[in-house]
Amino acid sequence: MLNIIKSDLYRIFKGKAIYVTILVMSVLMIANAISVSIINIGGKTSANIGDGTGMEFMVELQNANTLKDFREVMMRYREYPLDQEMIADNINLYYFFIVIVVIVLCTDFSNKSIKNTLSSAISKKKYYLSKVILIFGICTFLVLFSNYFFYLLNILVNGKALSSSLLDITKYTLLQLPMIYGIISLLICFAFTFKKTSRFSTITIPFILVLQLIVIAFISLFRIEANWFYNYEFQYALMNLVISPTNAYILKCVLLGIFYIIIFNGIGYYTFKNTEIK
Amino acid sequence: MREIVLQTNELTKKYKDFIALDHVNITVNKGDIYGLIGRNGAGKTTLMKVITTLSNKTGGGFELFGMSDNNLTAIKRRIGCLIENPAFFPNLTAYENLKYYAIQKGIANKKQIDEALNIVGLEDTRNKKFKNFSLGMKQRLGIAFAIMDNPDFIILDEPINGLDPIGIRDLRDIFKRLNKERNITILIASHILSELYAIATTFCILEKGKVIKELTKEKLDLECSKCIVIKTDDVKRAIIVLESDLKTTNYKVINSGEIRLYDYLGHTDEVNKAMVKKDINIRELYETGIALEDYFKTVIKEVE
Repeated sequence: MLNIIKSDLYRIFKGKAIYVTILVMSVLMIANAISVSIINIGGKTSANIGDGTGMEFMVELQNANTLKDFREVMMRYREYPLDQEMIADNINLYYFFIVIVVIVLCTDFSNKSIKNTLSSAISKKKYYLSKVILIFGICTFLVLFSNYFFYLLNILVNGKALSSSLLDITKYTLLQLPMIYGIISLLICFAFTFKKTSRFSTITIPFILVLQLIVIAFISLFRIEANWFYNYEFQYALMNLVISPTNAYILKCVLLGIFYIIIFNGIGYYTFKNTEIK
Repeated sequence: MREIVLQTNELTKKYKDFIALDHVNITVNKGDIYGLIGRNGAGKTTLMKVITTLSNKTGGGFELFGMSDNNLTAIKRRIGCLIENPAFFPNLTAYENLKYYAIQKGIANKKQIDEALNIVGLEDTRNKKFKNFSLGMKQRLGIAFAIMDNPDFIILDEPINGLDPIGIRDLRDIFKRLNKERNITILIASHILSELYAIATTFCILEKGKVIKELTKEKLDLECSKCIVIKTDDVKRAIIVLESDLKTTNYKVINSGEIRLYDYLGHTDEVNKAMVKKDINIRELYETGIALEDYFKTVIKEVE
């Protein structure tokens, strides 16, 4: 299994795709941070300001004479710093996970090179497990890279006083990981089901958006109580986990993440095991 | 007794209502170059895919090097494969592609990569990207991949497809050399009969997923070669005439009513005279001989 991971790492770092991914990710993160901080240096978007504080907040902002005062007002009203906001809202990661699954897994199916691997002394089980471990590993690296990048970026833009602590960033990251692994497991399951890059991308790129639209339409149409959706849907859960979650909520999300990991990998492996390698 | 490398036992593969392999029984002995002959869709690739576990069997079983198909992981290390078209990473060079699989297979000695490239004649193009390879070069790289781990048994599916005559001859030489020098057993599928005939030592004709015939090269030669067919009710006396009057032992008794004589070609009248002289009742006597393609057609027609 270790050999499969090592050979994939050799191949991945020989290619350009991984470097381009990290570069594009960095550029997007910087652009994302700038686009938020231009309006709200050191804080959150105005949409998150509570009712009744709007007027008072605006007056205080107007009275702020220096950039430092301005940021302090922002922090007081927004409750959490820019890095925390960026980590909570970083939906771009989902698309980078898709890229990683394509690089690590779909390439094998598209090039048909999987035949060479499976006809050698490698079982489908070993192959599946090593791909899961490698994808989890690279995606974890991306999450860490992304979250700590935001942390450093915020220190650079707003200074240490208006940033989260390194410990907090680590805590947010760890809280997000089970749900993130859950969604990666779904992508892996899709990859083993749809195999080729084109089919996989066509399904997964709009998946989250389409899923949200369908569920929201369903909720609106039938006037269903929708707290479960806003609490446990992937994107909302990742946000809630960073912004003052309760212990009970954390536990539920961790369990949900583990459930996703088991169920999606179970389906993925079953599909792969019974699939004909063409 | 020769070591058996591969033995299938009623091996069956079904796709819903379509039977791709129908109770296939074949035996590949060590040192054989075993040729699978069959039309498109006859089941050659399916058989190879099932053996290499790329496809799941639906019935029967097989043994590789004496190990049952339920326990193949360790034994698969002794096999090298090239199934259908050679498939590699287009943006990696020939060397990098092989290095990828060398790491995967845990081959510590990277010299084996160079050795494999040398054997197939790709040493000068080792740094060329796979996407820029011609079909012939791709096939060679596929064979280099198959032999890189010094396997005892290689499985090659249509390895000469789309190659020019020189490429075909080169590959043929490579297969023969691997078989002779390294004692590698080869299972090779092709529908180019003449090429398969030039290298294989044993043949298996597949049609509609069934084994129609499994025969050695000698037997195939015998069945295809030019001869005089003598059909008589008295085979014993006819043999005496052949040996004592016509002074030949170059004949074969096919059954109780037929002898095939491989001498006196072009002189059927002489044979006929000798038989008549001894008062042997000859039902038919004619010269025959069939080309490989015709033989193949005949065998398939017999089944149909």
